[in-house]
Amino acid sequence: MTLQRDIFINEVYEALKVNKKIYFLSADFGAEALDRLRKNFPKNFIHCGISEQAMFDVATGLALEKKKVFVYAMAPFISLRAIEQIKCGPSMMDLPMTILSVGIGLGYADAGPTHYATEDFACLRSIIGTKIFTPSDNLTVKFLAKDIIKNNKDLNYIRLDRHPVQDNISNLSNGGFQEGFRIIGNFDENKVVIISHGRILNQCLEVLKNNNNKCFVVDLFRSKPISKKLITTLKNNKKIIIVDEQCLAGNLSSSVFEAFSNLKIFPKIKSLYLPEEHVFENGGRDYLLKKYKLDSHNIELGLSSNF
Amino acid sequence: MPTIKKLVEISKQYRQELFEKFLQVGQGHPGSVFSITEILVCLFYEKFIRFDKKKLKFHDKIIISKGHATVALYPILKNFGVLSIKEWDNWGKKGLKSQLRVFGNTSIPGIDATTGSLGHGLGVGCGLALSYKKDKIDKNVYVIISEGELYEGSTWEALLFAKHYNLDNLKIIVDQNLLIILGKTDECLKLSPIKNKFKGFGFDVIECDGHNIQHLKKAFSKKTKNLKIILANTIKGKGFSIMENIPKWHYWNPLNNQEIEKCRAEIK
Repeated sequence: MTLQRDIFINEVYEALKVNKKIYFLSADFGAEALDRLRKNFPKNFIHCGISEQAMFDVATGLALEKKKVFVYAMAPFISLRAIEQIKCGPSMMDLPMTILSVGIGLGYADAGPTHYATEDFACLRSIIGTKIFTPSDNLTVKFLAKDIIKNNKDLNYIRLDRHPVQDNISNLSNGGFQEGFRIIGNFDENKVVIISHGRILNQCLEVLKNNNNKCFVVDLFRSKPISKKLITTLKNNKKIIIVDEQCLAGNLSSSVFEAFSNLKIFPKIKSLYLPEEHVFENGGRDYLLKKYKLDSHNIELGLSSNF
Repeated sequence: MPTIKKLVEISKQYRQELFEKFLQVGQGHPGSVFSITEILVCLFYEKFIRFDKKKLKFHDKIIISKGHATVALYPILKNFGVLSIKEWDNWGKKGLKSQLRVFGNTSIPGIDATTGSLGHGLGVGCGLALSYKKDKIDKNVYVIISEGELYEGSTWEALLFAKHYNLDNLKIIVDQNLLIILGKTDECLKLSPIKNKFKGFGFDVIECDGHNIQHLKKAFSKKTKNLKIILANTIKGKGFSIMENIPKWHYWNPLNNQEIEKCRAEIK
């Protein structure tokens, strides 16, 4: 299966055939598709060394000269190591730039907590002007890459999974893409809403299979800014479960709660998230998700539990 | 070209203007601003930074990576007509609006990069220089960094980058006044031998008197085999005996009338 990163990079590759103002910067992080890009567009690939901070400063300089810049590295490092460079560079100077962050959540299970990105969402969400995307399938990545390459006016933080995800979990129109979410299952004001994003959304889809009459799922692939349309659509739903492969502080449930409360709507929200601890235990990603009750079984239990 | 004598006069004039502005604003970083006055006068008036009179724009770029000293640019930008006199005059006057700030940012005409947090400017300069090289555009990027920025790892990351990509249109000037906020650099956390460190990174280093315009001009003009770093020896707070080499004058301090008159007399 093709990885999300390869799908995105392949779109950049295609765009490079006609647009030489595109620059792809990497802090020594690779991909199969990147090998081809490096080989065929060596002038547009900039290896920055294992120097995330300088990479963002260099990217800022390029963006000041109206280059389309993609900055690429492993999620834990690209998000936290250089967050001040992101703030003082593209954010403060209002420059378009796309940050490709690979291996969100416990994606690097077996590597250990230095390689987990379980707070990157909260960190980048706090940076002024960021748009945040966490695609759950390959189709969304494709839409996203095409849109960014064409429009390129924002500071985008793209959270990609390290592992393969489904090609297409549900239909996605251009209009739906622009709204930043899609509803999977049958919408009903009396049902429980399960909101998630990224690979972990698949756990929610498993729940949906056996509980179509009790719930539906929202794939919130753009979590900043959250579409007002989503909030008004869900305004009468009383119970919401939010599932995020992040620690609690500032995670997806914070974003969703803020979006509702801004419109003075206060549904009951149950948040499922990773614990406030560094995870040294091994066993693989799915084992850890199960341990921390982020698997389909525990999400399903949430449907009938007290809110 | 103006004579060296004239440039010395211009430097003095800028010190006067900036001193009066510090009095008005009541804050800022005079020590760092006055240590780069001659460096800037030489760059702008000796046309190392080229000016397009018709467009009222500078052809080359300058980044004051030590963002707390960006104020030193404002009177120059004003005198070239890039920044309006009104912006300059209003700054520090109660109730009047001005775009100017203690730290420069890109909303101010003539400021090429927002700086203030140390250690960013050189990397941004690398990005600009790389862009011009890729596009085969004849533009130089001057970056003034403080010696204190050598404590930031990102500065060294950027130096590696500049060397690897042979950014010979990137002109690095280190304002070496030997002081940081809490005292002498080598007493706080030893930086020396700086020259050897730059050489170890593959740069040619030209050391010069950062207040001697003739020396600066020679240093800026000198062709070198490798990429060049100019190590400009300066005095923090240069021109004012009350401030020179006194760490606390990193920041502006209140002055009594007698001290104000003394300062004014010293830069007449």
